[in-house]
Amino acid sequence: MGAFLLRRFASLAFVLWAMTVLVFAIVHILPGSVAHMILGEYATDAAIAALEERLGLNDPLYVQYWRWFSGILAGDFGTSLTMDRPAGPLIFEALGRSAVLASIAIVLVAAIGIALGIHSATHVGTASDRALTLGQYFFIAVPEFFWCILVILFFAVWLGWLPATGYTPLAEGGLLGWAKHLILPVSTLVLGLIAHVSRLTRSSMLEAIESRYVLAARAKGLPERTVLRRHALPNALLPAITVIAVDIGILIGGIVVVESVFAYPGLGRMLVYAIENQDLPLLMGGMIVVTAVYALANLAADILYAVLNPRIRVGGAV
Amino acid sequence: MAEALLDVAGLSVSYATRRGLVHALQDVSLAIPRGGAMGLVGESGSGKSSMVLALLGLLDKGARLEADRLDFAGEDLRQACARLRGSRIGTVFQDPAAALNPALRIGFQVAEPLVQHRRLPQPIALARAVELLAEMGIPRPAEVAQAYPHQLSGGMKQRAVIATALACEPELLLLDEPTTALDVTVEAQILDLLERLRRDRQVALLLVSHNLGIVDRLCDRLTVLYAGRVVEQGDAATMLRAPRHPYTRGLLAALPRADRGQLQRLAPIPGGLPDLTRPESGCNFAARCPFRAEGCDAPQALRDVAGRAVRCHRAEELGDTPWPRPGHTAAQRAPLGAMLLEAEGLARRFRLGGGFLQMFRSRAEVRAVDGVSLSLRRGEVLGLVGESGCGKTTLGRLLLRLIEADAGTIRFDGQPVSPRPDAAFRRRAQIVFQNPDSSLNPRQTVEQALLRPLVRFGLASGAAADREVDRLLERVRLSPAYRPRYPHQMSGGEKQRIGIARALASRPDFLVCDEAVSALDVSVQAAVLNLLADLRDELGVAFLFISHDIGVVAHIADRIAVMYRGVIVEEGPTQAVLAPPYHPYTQALLSAVPLVGQSGRATTRLRLVGDVSATGPASGCPFAHRCPVKIGAPCERQAPAMREVAVGHRIACHLPIEEMARAPHALMATE
Repeated sequence: MGAFLLRRFASLAFVLWAMTVLVFAIVHILPGSVAHMILGEYATDAAIAALEERLGLNDPLYVQYWRWFSGILAGDFGTSLTMDRPAGPLIFEALGRSAVLASIAIVLVAAIGIALGIHSATHVGTASDRALTLGQYFFIAVPEFFWCILVILFFAVWLGWLPATGYTPLAEGGLLGWAKHLILPVSTLVLGLIAHVSRLTRSSMLEAIESRYVLAARAKGLPERTVLRRHALPNALLPAITVIAVDIGILIGGIVVVESVFAYPGLGRMLVYAIENQDLPLLMGGMIVVTAVYALANLAADILYAVLNPRIRVGGAV
Repeated sequence: MAEALLDVAGLSVSYATRRGLVHALQDVSLAIPRGGAMGLVGESGSGKSSMVLALLGLLDKGARLEADRLDFAGEDLRQACARLRGSRIGTVFQDPAAALNPALRIGFQVAEPLVQHRRLPQPIALARAVELLAEMGIPRPAEVAQAYPHQLSGGMKQRAVIATALACEPELLLLDEPTTALDVTVEAQILDLLERLRRDRQVALLLVSHNLGIVDRLCDRLTVLYAGRVVEQGDAATMLRAPRHPYTRGLLAALPRADRGQLQRLAPIPGGLPDLTRPESGCNFAARCPFRAEGCDAPQALRDVAGRAVRCHRAEELGDTPWPRPGHTAAQRAPLGAMLLEAEGLARRFRLGGGFLQMFRSRAEVRAVDGVSLSLRRGEVLGLVGESGCGKTTLGRLLLRLIEADAGTIRFDGQPVSPRPDAAFRRRAQIVFQNPDSSLNPRQTVEQALLRPLVRFGLASGAAADREVDRLLERVRLSPAYRPRYPHQMSGGEKQRIGIARALASRPDFLVCDEAVSALDVSVQAAVLNLLADLRDELGVAFLFISHDIGVVAHIADRIAVMYRGVIVEEGPTQAVLAPPYHPYTQALLSAVPLVGQSGRATTRLRLVGDVSATGPASGCPFAHRCPVKIGAPCERQAPAMREVAVGHRIACHLPIEEMARAPHALMATE
């Protein structure tokens, strides 16, 4: 297990480093001058030259890369070009707010998705299984932005129960005010993912239930509840964990859309802002942070998978 | 009979399917006394598994069960099954790798019934589980109890499963194909264990199997099931010696037997299972029966014939009439042709494990094939036998250059074959795989699968290709009506024939058959084996016939090569390899084969312990670590060279030839 962790951490470090090269390359190797992009098409040559000098854009690329990379290693993401503030705190403040959104969403997806999947698998062919199946296909098929608009119209505009946009910090609005702003974004985020996860849990649970070791467990005379909980479920959860990790990627994509629509001041909205305003330090830093979050989530899933799966955790013959 | 432990009368099971009600079991009766052993034999679709599930009360929810009596020790199983299973009725399922939960430790799984039924506290149950594992002959039981299933070999897993079944000291053990997934050497160990358990514990057995040899070894009574009906029931030894129902006769005639040689073609049972949604009122075997006569369409009752129950109105009249055999004899074979394939020093290693950072670490290696040389003439069949993990499949693929060799050369028809062979070699050397389910593309019709090689090798096109497809189907005895069918629309035997037809499409000179008949029922297997023999005789195709079933290899092969851990340890003409002098490994393999009607053989058996995957010494004889007649230091230090013990018969062993020649005949009973 120690060697396994070491290996995974090494490859995580490699992936993150490779991402810094890629992000840097995408931003800098694309044609056009960065200073020109920042100052707009009517900028004078002198102004551009001055800005290039100030940003160090005349240095060789590897020097620029190293300056940026060593800064990140030291926790310095550079200075936001449009807000004239250090990019690091801006990014992490936004990340914190997105993390609230994402972690509530992922917990709901895992809990509700797996529970619904198990229910379907143990009630195959019944009315509730069929209704769930129908719902699952529907929610997988309809995209998030459609739900965003629909729930805003329904709950915010028509019923007026919940705010359509914005964010209230916990310290200011109290628990209720804070939660009110989260309900709509979170529910639109999780609908499709719950459908996805429960669909998959259903099929992996069914596979486990039809396996010979479950038949063997029944032949031992164990009660059905024990058979399902002890023999079927742990094996059925393995594929579900992998899919939840993959879904974190989808979730990050969803967060960009949902934060933009609900004007929620998180990392997704910040990235869109950075792209629109060509705020390169903010953009590059934001992308690195998103990558790191995704990679760490997958690492966590791999570790959980290994813990639950003895074929990975315990090697060798007896 | 004394009061029966298990008493089943008039048991019928049916399943509702889209095609209608499938009558899986129809009016089945059987009884097992305490300590008795009943064999339940039949091919796939006969209803064997439904029987086991019905006794356990574990039939699918959609299944309908009716019975006049379904009693276990005086209790009605329909009410009591949930309480009895696992405590007084133990079950061992077919594949131990599938029957053990991969996520739980062995000891926990063995202890589960004790906690459930005996209400033992977990630590005491676990301690008892370790004792049980030890009783099953598992070395280091405490360590094994802590292990997960994937860490154990197949034989150890099956012992653990048997330990679980025996945990609560049941009076009845249901064995559903308990050795089918195991090597013949491991099977012999498990059969020994079951025999001992039956003797020591007086546990009654219901052995469900397609293998008549193991039924003969373990059981005193036998029930033959055909398409849901009992066709013959009585004393096992008598029935196997002198079968009375035509189906039992057919099963025995279709069985290739290592102790019989290859005098004739086997006798396949034509046709397939009847439609179970519409059971015939008359004899359900009549459509496939060569003894069909007037009166077969009338309902048949189980009648007492020669001391047993037979469901056939002609049972007495037929007497000892054997099942008719096809007319071919071995004498019609042409002499072998010129040298076709010569392989020299083929070797292939596999590395264990993988991954990015492991590139920098030394990894364990398995020498799957370790310097193998062999040759084949046109029209010759070379049988390749050995336990799983011996490198048989790897060798077959190396010979076809399907995987890259680390060393060695291949000459085909006098020309060297490069590591990346041209289309001409691919056309002339083909392969038939074990499992037609996974080797046929489920999205291709028969026609597409057969046209593809014709087009690929430019052999025929248009109307000519069309005719060629019909000709190929005819070769494998299928009608052109099969052309538009997809794999899922065919039976296992039909699919395997399509696999063979596909391999034949390019008119190859050399075919590798990798366990090509292993997945098939005996009656279908006989038909496919006859087909392969016809191809050999009519087209002069040479075969490398890989199989773990020595009976099948003995039937079809001209020569046999015995492989152990990547090395050929014995090679020679079939009759020479099957008789002494033996390599000790060959002797052990042969004496492990369960044969019908040879229970006297048990005393002279040479038993192997452990299995192939156990690591042996890097130098020395590859078999030394398991060899029961090892002579000591030379075996550990030096790999034995191949020595010619007779013309064309070579053995790699340090033992003196005279001593190997003194070994008892492994396939015959000795007094």
